Amino acid sequence: MTMLRFEWLLLIRSRLTLAALIVLSVLSIFAVARGLHEVARQNAVIAHLETLQKNDMSDLAKAYGPEGDAGYAAYYSFHHTFDPPSRLAFAALGQRDVLPYNLRVRALGLQAQLYEGDIFNPELALPGRFDLSFVLVYLTPLFLVVLLHDLVSGEAESGRLSLLRAAPKAGIALWLRRAALRSALVFAAVAVPFVAGAVIAQAPVAGVMGGVALIALYVMFWTALCLLTAAFGFGSRINALVLLSQWVILVLVAPTLAHIAISRSVPVPQGVDIVLKHRQLVHGAWEVPKDLTMQRFFHSHPEWKATAPLGKTFEWKWYFAFHHVGDESVAADVATYRGRILQRQALAEGVGYLLPSVGVQAAMERLGDTDIRGYLSYQDQIKTFHTALRRFYYPYIFNKTPFPEPEYAKVPRFEPRSYGGGIGGFYLLTLAALSAGLGGGGVWLMRKRIV
Amino acid sequence: MTEMQQGDQSAILRLKAVSAGYGRRTILNDLSLEVSRGEIFALLGGNGAGKSTTLRVLLGFLKPSAGEVTLAGQDVVADPAAARAHVAYVAENVALYEHLSARENLAYLLTLAGVTAEASRIEGALEAVGLGVAARGQRLSGYSKGMRQKTAIALAVAREVPVLLLDEPTSGLDPRAISEFHDLLDVLRARGTAILMVTHDLLGATQVADRIGFLSEGRLTQVADKSEDRSFDINRLYQAYQTAQPGQVA
Repeated sequence: MTMLRFEWLLLIRSRLTLAALIVLSVLSIFAVARGLHEVARQNAVIAHLETLQKNDMSDLAKAYGPEGDAGYAAYYSFHHTFDPPSRLAFAALGQRDVLPYNLRVRALGLQAQLYEGDIFNPELALPGRFDLSFVLVYLTPLFLVVLLHDLVSGEAESGRLSLLRAAPKAGIALWLRRAALRSALVFAAVAVPFVAGAVIAQAPVAGVMGGVALIALYVMFWTALCLLTAAFGFGSRINALVLLSQWVILVLVAPTLAHIAISRSVPVPQGVDIVLKHRQLVHGAWEVPKDLTMQRFFHSHPEWKATAPLGKTFEWKWYFAFHHVGDESVAADVATYRGRILQRQALAEGVGYLLPSVGVQAAMERLGDTDIRGYLSYQDQIKTFHTALRRFYYPYIFNKTPFPEPEYAKVPRFEPRSYGGGIGGFYLLTLAALSAGLGGGGVWLMRKRIV
Repeated sequence: MTEMQQGDQSAILRLKAVSAGYGRRTILNDLSLEVSRGEIFALLGGNGAGKSTTLRVLLGFLKPSAGEVTLAGQDVVADPAAARAHVAYVAENVALYEHLSARENLAYLLTLAGVTAEASRIEGALEAVGLGVAARGQRLSGYSKGMRQKTAIALAVAREVPVLLLDEPTSGLDPRAISEFHDLLDVLRARGTAILMVTHDLLGATQVADRIGFLSEGRLTQVADKSEDRSFDINRLYQAYQTAQPGQVA
């Protein structure tokens, strides 16, 4: 305890150390506050759209209820689907700023509606997302470098190393204690705002613990790297240069190269291509003989085959049928699109086992359920809802059942998906093993060269 | 003046036929040296003679290729950590923690040395080295070199170790501080501490040391003993010192 008290005194009386810890704390608090604000804004947008949705349906019921035609109801009614941010989304906003979390869908062809918003906004992507995961993955290692690059070399340069080496009870424990104390403070500067944010957001305890473990292990990884570098006995400037080079490679260059390699090895068709193909099929359907369209539809939906044949005038069931056929015609493209996205995601997660910056970023987004898996899960929920819409409207449309105003109240309502995030224990173990390996190497080298 | 170090049963610091170096370069060449309790041994020599290497070997930082090194009977080569419990070391440029006061420095470094940092022990040591009461609570960033030197010596006093190693202890000190430092060494000698002092300051060594050894190319070429040569003959010693310089012929 006495030892730690003095190490603490030495730390807090160093202006650079104190300034670094204050700056990191401020950045973390700002990132958490920004994350909470963004989550609150997204929830407010969702709530506002829900109100508008109710008003919209009410107006629609009044406008088309008296006519009693389900076709109009199905055609004109937009249904609000939404993906509320999880309680831990504040820590990693992930894809939620570039991918839609609100989508109004109709009972028409789904695929064109689903991928209409799948247009990447480079203006949003350029500055990146300033959230806690950004502070953790990109900035925290820099602060650890600031605090640990002169762990041993600073003592050598100030002439105290011989004195410390000559102290009988100093040994390796001295350096480990110092590194641990500095790392613990860096950890606290990130973890305390995270926990405070989680309490405000009423996040589940297991998720908070997972997040804290992830922060701790990432800090441990960089601490181990700093220890290993310090053990070589270079001067502080060389250490700083080496550690900054490691940061550039591990946080910027290697992830970028990995991203390029994954993108080239697994090409993903653009969502807009599916939209265009779907639209061409749907618009082209006006030129296709109606019977042919219906045959295609009945082939996959024989339950509606027994309904009355088409007349010569416009009929909603033909209209909805060719939209449905349009969806089925692009089903293979959609499967390829989603499969490739998941393949890329799996590869990126694999890279994360070797590159902690990639792995921790992915894990934070998984924890917040804000990654691409979360978005695909939202799409699945939309599809389920859209299927429910079709199942609701089709009996009215195909059987020509009247659809008076009270029926509007029976239209299915979208239920948001439940939280599907979390952190894999295996990943945490891998990161712990990697950190332990590096740290162990550092300790071994330190014993050999410094102690 | 004797040509080589004589064996001494009361010796608490002992180097026996020690050879050591860096890589293929041999610095210490069959060096034998002993210092007894209550004795101050000044080790002089030119640059590269092996003075600092001798200290590194004694502290267990450098493993000798041959010979025996013991401190208070403890084998330094076999168990350097255990041997360090018997020795205090004051480097040439005394560097302690600038952000801590003398009291805090002593408390911290005593704890690192495995010694209980009792307030009475710390105050007693600071008193012994003559550091003013008012200065003891101030951070070292405001200290003069002499005051830092005293603080470093106070650490050795507080540890109550039998052996003290000093590396160029008077370098950069003003005459008054040197005089005070010599008085301090007298106090430690009276307490029975064996002191090995590496220095370039021949005159200072004659004032305080009991014996003066001249190191050249890693071995003791001559040792002057005050008990034999009551007041060191400075001219003879200067000649011996010059002879010990690299490139000089004895």
